[in-house]
Amino acid sequence: MLLGKGTVLEACVFATVLCGFFGIILKRNLMMKIISMDVMSTGVIAYYVLIASRGGLVTPILANNQNGNYADPVPQAVILTAIVIGFSIQALMLVGVMKLAHDNPTLETSEIEQNNTP
Amino acid sequence: MSTLTIAWITLPFFLGFISYLFPRLDRYLSLGVAIASTSYALLLFAKPPLTLQLLDSFSVTLLIDQLSGFFILTNGLVTAAVILYCWRSGKTAFFYMQTLILHGSVNAVFICADFISLYVALEVIGIAAFLLIAYPRTDRSIWVGLRYLFTSNVAMLFYLVGVALVYQVHHSFAFAGLRAAPPEAIALIVLGLLTKGGIFVSGLWLPLTHSESETPVSALLSGVVVKAGVFPLVRCALLVEEIEPIIRIFGIGTAFLGVTYAVFETDSKRILASSTMSQLGWILVAPTVGGFYALTHGLVKAALFLIMGSLPSRNIKALQQQPIHSAIWIVLVGASLSISGFPLFSGFAAKMLTLNNLTLWQANAMNVAAVGTAIVYAKFIVLPHQNQEQHKNLQPGFWVAMVLLIGGLLVANAVYYEAYTLSNITKAIAIIGAGWLIHYLLQRFAIKLPRVLEQFEHLIGVMSLMLILLFWMVLA
Repeated sequence: MLLGKGTVLEACVFATVLCGFFGIILKRNLMMKIISMDVMSTGVIAYYVLIASRGGLVTPILANNQNGNYADPVPQAVILTAIVIGFSIQALMLVGVMKLAHDNPTLETSEIEQNNTP
Repeated sequence: MSTLTIAWITLPFFLGFISYLFPRLDRYLSLGVAIASTSYALLLFAKPPLTLQLLDSFSVTLLIDQLSGFFILTNGLVTAAVILYCWRSGKTAFFYMQTLILHGSVNAVFICADFISLYVALEVIGIAAFLLIAYPRTDRSIWVGLRYLFTSNVAMLFYLVGVALVYQVHHSFAFAGLRAAPPEAIALIVLGLLTKGGIFVSGLWLPLTHSESETPVSALLSGVVVKAGVFPLVRCALLVEEIEPIIRIFGIGTAFLGVTYAVFETDSKRILASSTMSQLGWILVAPTVGGFYALTHGLVKAALFLIMGSLPSRNIKALQQQPIHSAIWIVLVGASLSISGFPLFSGFAAKMLTLNNLTLWQANAMNVAAVGTAIVYAKFIVLPHQNQEQHKNLQPGFWVAMVLLIGGLLVANAVYYEAYTLSNITKAIAIIGAGWLIHYLLQRFAIKLPRVLEQFEHLIGVMSLMLILLFWMVLA
C-alpha cells in the first residue's frame, strides 16, 4: 500500500515534535535545551499548517478569479498567535540564560540546578 | 451585562499599561482593579449564567456562571490583599504592572470557554509569573523562574497538539468538543492542564517555585495562579462526563501526594507549597462544588504565605526555639484551623460540601487526606509565642491584608451554612483531633523525602510517562 502525501508529512511533523522533546531531555546545555524547545514548537506549528491544508492548498484570500480549494484559514490564524507567544517566551528565556551565564559559563543544567536549589 | 463583562476583562490590561506611564498612580489603579473584580464576581451570584460569542462562529466564546464567580472572587480578594500588603513597601511600578497583567489573564482563564483563548491566557500568565518570580534578579530566582517557564511552555506545546486534534474532528475549539475527541487529544490536553495546574507527579515543579519566590509573589501564585490550570479541568469535567472520573482520580492522587510531601517537610514555605498541591486535589475531586473550595483555599493560603513572610525564620526547627509574636500567632492559628476544616471558618463548610459530593470510597480516601492536612498544620499551631514590643520585619500593610483575608474566610461561611450540623461538627473535630494526635506521635521522627522527582530533567521526563498513563486511562 502506498502512503499518502499527507500521512508522510504527518509522520515527519510528529518526528520533529519528538526530536525536540528528546532534545530537551537529553541535551545537557541549557542553551541547547531552549533550541530543542524551539524545534518542538516548530513541529507543532507545522502540524497546524498541515491540518489547515487538508481541505485544499490555495491561499484563502478573497479575489475575483476564485479557483481551487481553499486552505482552512482558522488554524493558520490561530497558530500565528502561538508563534508570537512562542518567540516572546524564547526571547525571555534567552535573557535569563544570559544572566545565568555570568556565573555558570558552561551553562550545564545540572550544575546550575545544583548551585541554585536549597 | 455583556458590555460590562468586556469592559471588566480589558480593564486590568488597560490600567496595567497606564500605571506604567503614571507610576505614582500604580497602587491606586491596582487596588481599583482588584475591587472591580471583586464587585463583578459578587454581581455574578445574582445573575443567570451568561454565554458570549464574540464575532462569528470560529471566534472567542465566553462562559460566565457561578463557578467563574467563585474563582474571580478569589482572584479579586487575593490580589487586593497582596496589594495592600505591599502598599508601603516601596515596590516599583513594574511590580504592580505585572500583578495587574497577571490578574487580568487569570480572570480571562476563568471566563473563557474555548481552547485557544485558554492557551493565550495561560501563556500570558506564564510570562507574567516568570517576570514576578525573577524580579529579584538573583541567580536562584532566575533559575526558578526559567524552570517554571520552561516546564509550562513544554506542557503547553503538548496541549496545542491536542487542541489541533480536537479541531480536526469538530472544526471548533469549544471545550465541548472534547466529548467525541480521539483519546490522544484528551490525553494531550489534560496533560498540559495537569502540568500547568501543578497536579500530581507532573506538578512537582510547584513546591520549589512557590517556596523560593518573594512573599507577596508566593501568595499570588499559590492563592490564584495555580487555579488557572485547575479551573479548565473543572470546567471540562462538568461539560464532558467522560473525563470526570479521570479528573476525580487525579484529585485524590494529588491530595495524597501533596500531603505526604508536606508532612515530612521542615521548611515552612515548602510545607505551604506542598499543601497547595494537596488542596488542589480537593478542588478537583468534586468539580460541581470546586468553586467554593477554591475560594476558601485561595484566601487561607494567601494569608498563610503572608504570615510566613513575617516570621523570623523559615525553618520549623528554628521557629520552635524562637517564640513568635502573639498577635501573629493568633492569625496563624486561625488560618491553620480554617485549612484543617475547623468549624467557625469557611474551610469547614467547604470540606463538608466537598465530602458530601463524593462516592463512599472517595469520601473515605479524602477523610484520610483531611487527617493529613490536620497533621501538617498542627506544626504551626504548636509553635511557641510571646508578647513582644515591636516586630521588626512586619510589613505595614500586613494587618489590613489579614483583616481582608481572614474576614473573607468568616463571611464565606454564609455560602453553605447548612454544614453546621452536629454530626458534621463532630466529624470535623474528630479529624483534627486525630491529626494532632498523629502529629504528636510523629514529631520525634525526622524523615527526609528524596527530592529527585523535582529535578528539572525529571519534570520533563515525567510528562512522557504521564502522557502514556493518561492515554490508557482515557482508553479504559
